Amino acid sequence: MGNPGKDREALIEALAGAYRARDPHGVISSHPAFHDLDDEGRIEAFEAAERLRRIEAALDPQGLSTTARAVLARIRAGGG
Amino acid sequence: MLDLDDHLTLLAAGDEDAFGRWLAGAEPRLRGSLRSYAARLDTEALVQEVLLRVWQVAPRHLPDGRPNSLLRLAVRIARNLAIDEIRRVRAEPMDEDGMERALAAAETGAFRGGSDPLLRRILAECEEKLPGKPREALAQRLASGGGEPDEILAERLGMRLNTFLQNFTRARKLLAECLEKNRVDLAAELS
Repeated sequence: MGNPGKDREALIEALAGAYRARDPHGVISSHPAFHDLDDEGRIEAFEAAERLRRIEAALDPQGLSTTARAVLARIRAGGG
Repeated sequence: MLDLDDHLTLLAAGDEDAFGRWLAGAEPRLRGSLRSYAARLDTEALVQEVLLRVWQVAPRHLPDGRPNSLLRLAVRIARNLAIDEIRRVRAEPMDEDGMERALAAAETGAFRGGSDPLLRRILAECEEKLPGKPREALAQRLASGGGEPDEILAERLGMRLNTFLQNFTRARKLLAECLEKNRVDLAAELS
């Protein structure tokens, strides 16, 4: 996973996304953007993620957010 | 009141589709319970880890007779994982009152998930009005379902990562404006 540089808004947007890498043991890793943001930026990303997941779920035929779909995909792939 | 424990029988049988329906109602409340940790922990990673653990324990879960027992268990798992992580990185202590409020809210009711047809129609109309590049960025994130990093999504659209993220921000803000014009208050829905 790369890093969107020092652009604060891009860092917030990156952190608000649902994709998370896994370490070699399959443990879900924190997004690198989390470590590049201050407390205020992290809270902004949290709030953006809350609204985004609601929008994603509303647009999805099964009512699933990208978080829910990522978790289900992992379960179906046998990684749950 | 929506009681997600209605799915427990199917969850005990390992029904993944039933878990999807449980997820749709549980995720907002679970995420909301982690608000006080947002500055200390990557709550998205924590939410996903908790949901995977809930799937693993669901077949053995015994309801306690009160609504949304599995959701309340999820909130407790999240709290324990958050405490462990905070201790590991030696961050500030947690907000105990906030967690108690989250448990009470989980018992009161879960979310309806994404099944609100009016919100869906308004959002679809708002999405259609988005300009090309922001709409493409939004569509990529939705299609990937949290399964691919933004670098890959950006590359697929022939964009640099920062350009992709800027387009996504624009899409998110335009959607928010459009929802506001249609008198939809997502913040109120999430409270």
